[in-house]
Amino acid sequence: MATHEEITDSLKVFTDNYNKNERLKIMNRDWDRVVVVKATDVESRHTMTLKDGVVSLKEGASDNPDLTVISDSETLADIFYGDITPTEPYNNGTLRVMGSEDDLIRLDFISLLIWGE
Amino acid sequence: MRRVVSVSLGSSKRDHKVYAEFLGEEFEISRMGTDGNFDRALELLQNLDGKVDAIGLGGIDVYLFVKQKRYAVKDGLKLMEAVKVTPVVDGSGLKNTLEREVVRVLADETGHLKKGTKVLMVSSVDRFGMAEALSEMGCDVTFGDLIFTAGVPYPIKTMEELEEIAGRILPEISQMPFHMIYPTGKKQETQDEDKVKKFARYYHDAEVIGGDFHLIRRFMPAEMNRQIILTNTTTPDDIEFLRKKGVALLVTTTPEYDGRSFGTNVMEAVLVSIIGKPWEDITSDDYLNLLEKLKFRPRILDLKT
Repeated sequence: MATHEEITDSLKVFTDNYNKNERLKIMNRDWDRVVVVKATDVESRHTMTLKDGVVSLKEGASDNPDLTVISDSETLADIFYGDITPTEPYNNGTLRVMGSEDDLIRLDFISLLIWGE
Repeated sequence: MRRVVSVSLGSSKRDHKVYAEFLGEEFEISRMGTDGNFDRALELLQNLDGKVDAIGLGGIDVYLFVKQKRYAVKDGLKLMEAVKVTPVVDGSGLKNTLEREVVRVLADETGHLKKGTKVLMVSSVDRFGMAEALSEMGCDVTFGDLIFTAGVPYPIKTMEELEEIAGRILPEISQMPFHMIYPTGKKQETQDEDKVKKFARYYHDAEVIGGDFHLIRRFMPAEMNRQIILTNTTTPDDIEFLRKKGVALLVTTTPEYDGRSFGTNVMEAVLVSIIGKPWEDITSDDYLNLLEKLKFRPRILDLKT
């Protein structure tokens, strides 16, 4: 089980890597979205906000997010640290994403462009 | 008579059966769409196994290629592995040979393609042979894989960047449910209106639009300005759709039978049944030699008249 602090750190690593990637920022200039990340086994909520291609992170959940990413703390930390890709936990049901399928695919692509081989 | 059947995840509205002769042999070629129902496709494949001469898998890719790398699509592989006896193909072997050849024919014999021609490939990893041939002949190619698969308005402009991005994305994306990355079933009969509006400029800016017909159709805007469409698997309704949109010319890589061009999977299944070797032993030269004997030519249809 990961702690809230570990999830926070993993999300910081993710957002830092995203914001350092100029190509990703260009790719997502049109995609303003609010993404809530929620752990199921520890009290941990975060909000990532994409605006004009840049991602910011804050602790706590936002109302009316476009996407909500839900999983156990260990899986969330693994995904956002880039230790695993979201595909397998998504396919086996460990990871749930609430929102439109288009947004989900796009988030998956972003994650792969940061962490892919 | 030899029987070749294409089992497709696409719409059953496109089902069709034709009789054709190749090198003196009669063929019954049919297509069975399952409207996106994966389990129904699996069942059909198991029922047909051992009872027909060759099977094509439609509406899904089993293998995606970029340069020398091959990525197996999990759902496609599952369908392919359901067939134990009959040769089963997804069209990727033929795409890699015939579609390169079609680009050459269009450049050398018709003048429709030349250095600098602006080409939009709606998706290139499923038709890498065509994409690479266009790029090698000096066309100004926009690879639309991220735009039309992920909704990311980022045109890939070089083969190197395509290869780099594909290397990051395809190992994982190929493991996702196929319907998430490609329009299957009823989605093939409709357009994604939001993306049609959002990405219209990529269509309007191109002189030639190439790739999978279902993708081309799903995102094509109105008021096309006399572009050329380079694709396959078109029906009379599709041709009317393109005409209404303002397309000038339709080039299909596979020949026409009874008013429609079949998918590369169907034609590859026909070729495999003629060649008579296990699929994995068939080389590009085997296909090219047979295509030469069969005098396969692209169909070029003027839609302005």
